[in-house]
Amino acid sequence: MALVSLEDIGKTYRGRSGAYEAVRNFSLELAEGEFFCLLGTSGCGKTTVLNMLAGFEAPTAGRITLDGHPVSKPAAERGVVFQGTDSLYDWLNARDNISFGLRLAGVGRAERRAVAERFLALVGLAGAGDKHPAELSGGMKQRIQIARALANNPRILLMDEPFGALDAMTRNILQAELTRIWQEARKTVLFITHDIEEACALATRIGVMKRGPGGTLKTVVPVDLPFPRDRTSDAFMAIFRQVHAAIREEIIAA
Amino acid sequence: MRERVKIVAGYLAGFALLFLVWHLAAVFVVKSALFPSPIPVFVRAQWLIEENILQEQIWASLRRILQGFALGTALGIPIGLAIGSFKPVRVLLEPWTEFFRFIPAVAMITVAVIWFGIGEESKIFLIAYTTIFVIIISTAAGVGAVERNKIRAAQALGASRFQVFALVALPATVPFILTGMRLAMANSFVTIVAAELIASNDGLGKMLWDARLFMEINDIFVALVALGLLGFATDRCFRLAIRAFAGRYNPTM
Repeated sequence: MALVSLEDIGKTYRGRSGAYEAVRNFSLELAEGEFFCLLGTSGCGKTTVLNMLAGFEAPTAGRITLDGHPVSKPAAERGVVFQGTDSLYDWLNARDNISFGLRLAGVGRAERRAVAERFLALVGLAGAGDKHPAELSGGMKQRIQIARALANNPRILLMDEPFGALDAMTRNILQAELTRIWQEARKTVLFITHDIEEACALATRIGVMKRGPGGTLKTVVPVDLPFPRDRTSDAFMAIFRQVHAAIREEIIAA
Repeated sequence: MRERVKIVAGYLAGFALLFLVWHLAAVFVVKSALFPSPIPVFVRAQWLIEENILQEQIWASLRRILQGFALGTALGIPIGLAIGSFKPVRVLLEPWTEFFRFIPAVAMITVAVIWFGIGEESKIFLIAYTTIFVIIISTAAGVGAVERNKIRAAQALGASRFQVFALVALPATVPFILTGMRLAMANSFVTIVAAELIASNDGLGKMLWDARLFMEINDIFVALVALGLLGFATDRCFRLAIRAFAGRYNPTM
């Protein structure tokens, strides 16, 4: 059985200026342990899909289940990494940010500290536990966000363009790091991006979305390449071309 | 540490310059008995301090400010949090805050004296009154300014509604509350002087009023300088408290 199942979901916003259908007839099943990249142009509804799976927004059509149970509101089983770094708690240091979920669950101080140190090390920030977000770079903040979500031991990690605001060099480093972290943590990941190369480098499957309004899944491309991936190899290029062709039609049509 | 020494030295130089300009203006420009130079004012201040008079007046005013300010803050923060968190509360209470906000504390002196007499209660009421609306508005604005992603992140980590409030909304609002308190403190100085001018047995405002009655021009200036220095010191204390509390994660404060 699939870990996550989105069945024919849709989302229509009703505002003063009329209705806007962001997502229509979107269906997807995610298997345990896979790294699924949802790729699409801006305004295609990919973030809306993530927000519905996270439980931040309710779908206006269809059904979402995790482990067979319906998803209706945010919960610790679905960790989220946001695009911006404003989701970190400025008044807490890195260690307390990472163990925030454990604090919510009533875990004791000593254990929280131990878990935080372990996940600081996992994201390559051992020794930075006392630093506050204001003292960290954009890339480091995203590492903290990833550690915070993973320290809570969720069933699935939802990542909403987490490297979108970073410079190209930092983004490349964090992509490689994310693959390592994913392999060590053995989590299922849904990763939203509009960067084709990023999707090809990270994913075990890539879902290409049709442009909005009424965004839906156009095609799913399996990426059966070993990690770490050589971005200059012919096999990588072949996948890139295939995904590029699928999304190019959406860009041109837009 | 070096930085701190530089700042203190700068402040001292700034005050020295202020008194120098005052002295030059009094001696060479105005040349009037109604505008004394700082020298006779300081001589007078020294005498008032030796006689323990100035300290008593300062303490009388400061005590009222601190009591009223504490009361206004203690009431204002929960009301502001409620207004910022719950829309029905906001709609219900906005007419109150927006109504009383435009009736200045100075205008309330008359009723305060009728209700509470010229003793401590009327002053504390007025300071609390002038404090509470500033605190309510800045606290409510702070709650409204909490980033959505901070709240969503907590929800996705399993936070209950109460946890979102206590562990995210509240700490995120603290810098706004502290800034509101700083503004309210400045208002408190305005209010206490006005209240003591009109109805009081002691305090810096009473000292100003008596000095005018008896044409003790130096006393007036002693009181004015005391107010300025007291306000300056209070505001510095606030800045330091805000830095110590929030500066680490908010370098702009």
